[in-house]
Amino acid sequence: MKKKFLAALLAATMTLSMAACGSGAQTQKAETETTTETQATETSENQTADESQSTATGEKILHTAASFAYPSLDVHKEYYGWYTSIYGVSEALFKLDETMSAVPCLAKDAVADGSTWTITLNDGVHFSNGNPLTADMVIKNLQRLATENSRFAYLGDFEMTATDDKTIVIDTKEVYPTLKNDLASPECGMIDLDATTDFDNSPVCTGPFVVTEFVPEGDVTVAKNENYWGGDVKLDGAVFYYMQEDDPKLLAMQSGEIDCYNSVSSAALEVYNQSPDLYDVVSIPGARLQFYILNENTLDDAVREAINLTVDKDKIAEYLSGTVSAAVGPFSPSAAYGKVTVPAVDTAKAKEILEADGYTLGADGIYEKDGQKLSISIAYYAARSLDTLAILIQEQLKAIGIDSTLRVEEDPDATYIANADFDLALYCMIADKSGDPLYFIDSTLADGSYYNVGGFKSAECQSMIEELRTETDTAKRADLANKIVQIAIDDNAFGYVGLFNNTTVLRKGVSGFAEYVPFDFYGVDAETDING
Amino acid sequence: MAKQILKRVLGLVLILLVLSFMVFGIMYLAPGDPAEKRLTSQGVVVTKEILQAERERLGLLRPFIVRYADWLKNVLRGDFGISFKDDLPVAPKLIKGLKNTIWLALSSLFLALIISFPLGLLSAVKKGKLVDHIARLFSFIGNSLPNFLISVLLMYLFCIQIKVFPVIADGSVKGLMLPALSLAIPMAGRFTRQIRSELIDQLGEEYVVGMKLRRVKGRFILINNVLRNSLGHILTIIGLQIGTLMGGSVVIESIFRWPGIGKLVMDSITARDYPVIMGFVLIMGTIYVVINLIVDIIYRLLDPRSF
Repeated sequence: MKKKFLAALLAATMTLSMAACGSGAQTQKAETETTTETQATETSENQTADESQSTATGEKILHTAASFAYPSLDVHKEYYGWYTSIYGVSEALFKLDETMSAVPCLAKDAVADGSTWTITLNDGVHFSNGNPLTADMVIKNLQRLATENSRFAYLGDFEMTATDDKTIVIDTKEVYPTLKNDLASPECGMIDLDATTDFDNSPVCTGPFVVTEFVPEGDVTVAKNENYWGGDVKLDGAVFYYMQEDDPKLLAMQSGEIDCYNSVSSAALEVYNQSPDLYDVVSIPGARLQFYILNENTLDDAVREAINLTVDKDKIAEYLSGTVSAAVGPFSPSAAYGKVTVPAVDTAKAKEILEADGYTLGADGIYEKDGQKLSISIAYYAARSLDTLAILIQEQLKAIGIDSTLRVEEDPDATYIANADFDLALYCMIADKSGDPLYFIDSTLADGSYYNVGGFKSAECQSMIEELRTETDTAKRADLANKIVQIAIDDNAFGYVGLFNNTTVLRKGVSGFAEYVPFDFYGVDAETDING
Repeated sequence: MAKQILKRVLGLVLILLVLSFMVFGIMYLAPGDPAEKRLTSQGVVVTKEILQAERERLGLLRPFIVRYADWLKNVLRGDFGISFKDDLPVAPKLIKGLKNTIWLALSSLFLALIISFPLGLLSAVKKGKLVDHIARLFSFIGNSLPNFLISVLLMYLFCIQIKVFPVIADGSVKGLMLPALSLAIPMAGRFTRQIRSELIDQLGEEYVVGMKLRRVKGRFILINNVLRNSLGHILTIIGLQIGTLMGGSVVIESIFRWPGIGKLVMDSITARDYPVIMGFVLIMGTIYVVINLIVDIIYRLLDPRSF
């Protein structure tokens, strides 16, 4: 009897649960239909429809995952232009290629003569609505960018005139050699300011795709721009699912719900590498640099040199399983301004240098001098694998007799960067934002710059930095940059550890997802394709 | 009763005032700069001048007390402010996140109850038997497994192996099932243990022994006395759990792309988006106090002796 009662109770609860679950679900669906999430629902539900439609009509729809999502598609605001560029919606006057050079896009040329730049637009460029991109519209866009985005406010100081429909003359007042590179930034994407009524949700741009559905901070769906000025667009559309976590991305690839994505984790890489018949993995050094600053005010020359001879970047890169490439200098070695040299790892020489400086190895295996143990403080923050880096560096230094203490901070800029109270400080930043070395050199090596907090000072270096600010010849700029960085390397002021790889996984047959470009802000374009 | 409720509501105002001041103070003292977080969110560093101008624009250079007073004044007018992260109004963000979190919380709570209630009951009645061991094993496993592992395991099972759900969840019922189950399993583990323990305590009470001696049927005692007397305790557990669930689950929401309040707040903490964090604190403070009040009222209705 008791058994029957309990069985009935169990059955009743299960039945109730199913019924209630169903009704709750329906209620929720009804509710969400009135909200923005509905769009997400519809997007995902449409995915199934899209897929079946693609099969039925042969449409090529690319499904991919995006690690970030933003509340707006306004190209000029914040970093939203990075994403409209990834979605293939917006384009800038120039774009950056595999060798980190600014190459023609909407503009075919930019020529500098002193402080005057003459920019010529490409032939036949028009927006997705058919309106031509004129020199006047370019100027209006740059002026809007200057007011909407504080990082580009300096553009407001330039005098811009349209000499004809296709030519813009920009007077930068002072020599400004990086204008062409700046104009390759995705924030400089062009919008039809006269035709766009909703900048946040549907900007009219020039890219190979147009937005068909946008969920703020959610998924984005784009369709082929039938009117693309650059010719035929191979895909019919693309869906960008907002997915932050690595494991679901891997599972979505395995289940066939997405076709490609970038920023692949090391754990997922192992899985993809085991199935080369199913997936292509492309990994190239990117523009995001892991580096450390050696404090010249607290560490003498010998200790800094010994540290740099000991830290084994190759082993660190190996430990980080393909997510990082060992760096030589701050820039990709494929760039003309990435040609510097560093001494090879040599722990025996590191020890010799310390001993020549008066250090003796103690019984505990740690060097000491004047009764003081050689112990340094390593400051870091737990992001971009810097926590792993700190531990690995600590181990490598200990192996030669340098003790260290780790100090983790949540906000490096407000703590150890601001106070310079460290011996070795780890940091990660984009070293190359637009195919030119000045930004990084100016931020870390120039006198008084925000990240030059370790006491590095060189009159020769500073003089070359001043020269770099005004030099317009690309080859000479690269040469100057290489010399400047080499001085910092030789002075053991920094250690450039690793460049994060831009790692992309693509299902077999998928190509052209910016997998060979070292910048984060490119994705689908007219050449992106799915075959097979 | 009305007097009690009024007292609680007045207490709520005081709690929220103290809570908001404390949280505002902690955020002020904690390292981190919303302006810097916003401008360098992609790893591009900016000049000191740009950073300072952004701080000025966001009002971060004003004294602490002026900022708090302004915030409080606006909240009293129903204005939760503008997000430091993207200049959008805070209230719609919180409402959207909370709505999604409520659905997820209620669904998972419901699933947890329909799993744990029968299991806890069976386990208590069949103490020491096979079914008890199974229920305790489930409780142990459910309690031990972290949320992210349960989520990924469920995803692998239902999305890759059985293929009944998509990995890319959406706002639909289908999209809700796996995140709700992922939250429900550990919760059911805890509930099963607590329900079992409470029922075993009740079953050992003298009144149960007396009723059994008077040959009252076991089923009658279980339904009319044991379960009824245990309800207050069980309700307290559920009430506390609802409060926790309303805070959102960052892991589950991130894995299943569920736009709940947990993820919103975690992103806001990372970005030092103080207006969103303050809004969240106010809402959560209110929810906790109100749920406790509701539980107390129900508890007293169930057991008039506690009035």
